[in-house]
Amino acid sequence: MPNETHKDDNLLEIKDLHVQYNTDDAVVYAVNGLNLSLKKGEKLGLVGETGAGKTTLALSILQLLPKKVGQIASGSIMYDGEELLGKPDSYMLGLRGRRISMIFQDPMTSLNPTKTVGEQVYEVLHLHFPNLSKEQKQEKVDRMLQLVGIPASRKGEYPHQFSGGMKQRIVIAMALIAEPELLLADEPTTALDVTIQAQILELMRRLKDEFNSAVVLITHDLGVVAEFCDNVSVIYAGRVVEHGTVEQIFASEEKHPYTAGLINCIPDLTRDEKRLKPIPGHMADPRHITTGCCFADRCPHCMEKCRTTPPAMHEKDGHLILCHLYDTTKEAE
Amino acid sequence: MMDRPLVEAVNLCKYFKTPKGQLHAVEDVNFKIYEGKTLGVVGESGCGKSTLGRTVLRLHQATSGQVLYEGEDILKYSKRDMHKVQRNMQMIFQDPYSSLDPRMSIRALISEPLEVLNKKNELSSAQLKERVDHIMDMCGLPSHYSNLYPHELDGGMRQRVGLARSMILDPKFIVCDEPVSALDVSIQAQILNLLMDLQDSHKLSYMFITHDLAVVKHISDDIMVMYMGQVVEYTSSSELFANPIHPYTKALLNSIPTIDLSRRNRERVTISGEVSSPINPAPGCRFAPRCPYASEKCKEGHCLKEVKPGHFVSCTEGN
Amino acid sequence: MGIFSKKKKKPLSEYSTGELILFRFRKNKLAMIGVAMFAFVTLFILIAPLIRPYSMVIKQDIANKLQGPSAEHIFGTDELGRDLLARILYGGRISLFCSLAIIGIAFVIGAIIGGTAGFFGGKVDTILMRVVDMLMSVPSALLAMAIITALGNGVWKLVLALSIGQIPRFARMVRSSVLTLRNMEYVEAAKCFGASSPRIILKHILPNGIGPIVVSATLTLGSVILSISSMGYLGLGVASPTPEWGTIISENKVNIQYYPYLGIIPGICIMLTVMSVNFIGDGLRDAFDPKSKN
Repeated sequence: MPNETHKDDNLLEIKDLHVQYNTDDAVVYAVNGLNLSLKKGEKLGLVGETGAGKTTLALSILQLLPKKVGQIASGSIMYDGEELLGKPDSYMLGLRGRRISMIFQDPMTSLNPTKTVGEQVYEVLHLHFPNLSKEQKQEKVDRMLQLVGIPASRKGEYPHQFSGGMKQRIVIAMALIAEPELLLADEPTTALDVTIQAQILELMRRLKDEFNSAVVLITHDLGVVAEFCDNVSVIYAGRVVEHGTVEQIFASEEKHPYTAGLINCIPDLTRDEKRLKPIPGHMADPRHITTGCCFADRCPHCMEKCRTTPPAMHEKDGHLILCHLYDTTKEAE
Repeated sequence: MMDRPLVEAVNLCKYFKTPKGQLHAVEDVNFKIYEGKTLGVVGESGCGKSTLGRTVLRLHQATSGQVLYEGEDILKYSKRDMHKVQRNMQMIFQDPYSSLDPRMSIRALISEPLEVLNKKNELSSAQLKERVDHIMDMCGLPSHYSNLYPHELDGGMRQRVGLARSMILDPKFIVCDEPVSALDVSIQAQILNLLMDLQDSHKLSYMFITHDLAVVKHISDDIMVMYMGQVVEYTSSSELFANPIHPYTKALLNSIPTIDLSRRNRERVTISGEVSSPINPAPGCRFAPRCPYASEKCKEGHCLKEVKPGHFVSCTEGN
Repeated sequence: MGIFSKKKKKPLSEYSTGELILFRFRKNKLAMIGVAMFAFVTLFILIAPLIRPYSMVIKQDIANKLQGPSAEHIFGTDELGRDLLARILYGGRISLFCSLAIIGIAFVIGAIIGGTAGFFGGKVDTILMRVVDMLMSVPSALLAMAIITALGNGVWKLVLALSIGQIPRFARMVRSSVLTLRNMEYVEAAKCFGASSPRIILKHILPNGIGPIVVSATLTLGSVILSISSMGYLGLGVASPTPEWGTIISENKVNIQYYPYLGIIPGICIMLTVMSVNFIGDGLRDAFDPKSKN
């Protein structure tokens, strides 16, 4: 039975999700017991490095994992009070693009080069609202293109006639035309220049207010998250190691050592330091399950128990940290 | 000798012929790089920064202008003369995947430049091996990597291989074309530290090409901001960030997302429009179509003016 | 048989690149089966005089025509009573060696033309590729006929005539692979430390682009064997009475319906040869690629 209280405040609730890829060589454990919740209209940032499991998570929500290879081993994904896992494909088809949309990293490859951009935006609308009259649909497409900053006069042009930033605007128009409740944006600005990135982020900020959709922004760029999001989840080796508001993550003294490491290793315009402090070592091998803390090998504060027991989630005013460091402070209190 | 720059460009231009007309990729660029110093070249994609780096190394043939290495114009050099300076001027590439031949082992990759320049067998194979081991150690590559192939390494390690391949010739000047932009932030920091360590120990000079202003601030002594082939601002790193003058530089600095929450609610001056390509460009400032301060006189010629000692800028509008 | 021996026992890490390629090739079962099959076919063709004297190829024996396989005629006899085994053994010499020579010549010339055009680009490219287009626009059978008519019959003239028809496909294939590879950053890196153009082509472009071309060359072998036979059918090229495999099939085509062994046996010979060369080609491609497993 769907829980009524959940239905009210949480749009998306992911519990103890495990996803693995069964390849010929080995089993790759991409997501390992991930918990996440998202309220309606919330802007959540998912931060992590390559191989942390960010994109796998987004694909799991949409159930677009590569067939036969990608497998959701256990866990639950509740969307608006409904369990998505085990739902038939026909149900997911109605959800994708209509209630949950996704923007991919590369705008160059997410558009069909043989169709005009107007047709491509129209197609999404037609798929989900076949009952609207042609004029109504056409009008909606024009308005949407206008909103993302493409003059309606250019809708008869083909993708190659647009620049990268313009293409990403068209992709955003396609993602938002059905007015979804949730927008999954996977590195939407990584392929773009900074001035264009600023334009796109500004656009997404404005559109979010217009449609009040919740946004999950997946990125490796801490700066983008700090400027755009309300809440942040830091992902490492398929787990959320820290979650909190932007203030809690960037301004608070209490941090997961991985988050602290990430913040320290980016050169920042506001600081003046001679040497950067990189995080030593490499991302844990996703083909093995670690017994203790997944970050133990790279952690400057690694203790005995970090190698043997998995840490518990430590919570303070909604700020979650998955680390043994905060066990002791708890005990001391 | 102190006053002579190691590498200097004088009115360097590079145009490409395209079916639509002449593409002015690099227009009238001047710079000086001294021994042990780093020049950062910043700009958005298509601004000609990579072309500039390649033109300096003669990977592209310059259309006009001079590139002086220790005071001599290398653009006039014959192939044989070029070979002699080649070992002093090397390059590291952006993509650690496509810049290493997938069919060659790490050892073969790193030793190849030496083999090419060692045609007369000045070095014995034992000496060669020793040299490769030494360079690998210097670049933080464990010795057991030497028989692996590029696809077995991650991005950071591959970039170290790329760096080792340039370092084996013991160059004095390296053009770094976005060497860290394909890497994760934690790996990026390792490579940046390595680059700076090598600079200190070998008195290297870098031309560091990037779109990332935070990285360029961290590593550079001087910074040159380019827009559609033109240099719009050229000054020392500290001066540029403390006192940006050109409207484009200002917009660029303002656009960078930062984790400093106090800047979260700053007034954003996002510039509209996008970079187009400079094919048969009209004279004057190419930023003018996007510039909030543009006026009629922007259509006149484009030249850098020294507004303060060592601070060159092509435009002072908006101040 | 050097590639079968396994006397070296040093660790993999000490292997040179060449040894590694050989090692990977040897570990590929299918490729080794291909080598074995090819060796088997070649061996029989080479020792043909020990099995059947050449005279049996043309010795007619009408009384024993169209006999199925028996102890005396292992592969049976054709409509003139000639021993099929003898014809296949001696015919194989022409089929196998001519087709290999044709592919080899076409491959080398095509690679040189395509490689030069792709690497240097510009005018060189335009001129070379227009020449190739001209060759391509003439049907290869017609071209071969014209050349043979001009030069006269003979095995080597046939080889020359047919290889010219195969050049365009190799030239085009090599050119397109060079075009993609020459823009790779590692080629630029090689230019950067002063590597010469021949070195770049031989050391960086060729090893990376050769895989698919080798496979395609082995696939062409079958059709080349058949085109030799169609030349023979037209009375051009290899002068009878020495038959080659394609000719054997075509001269028996009337009787194949009732005496299927006349088609099946030479067919199997062609198939075995093409398959073995194909396996070898696949194995070579994988051996050149360090990314392949094992």
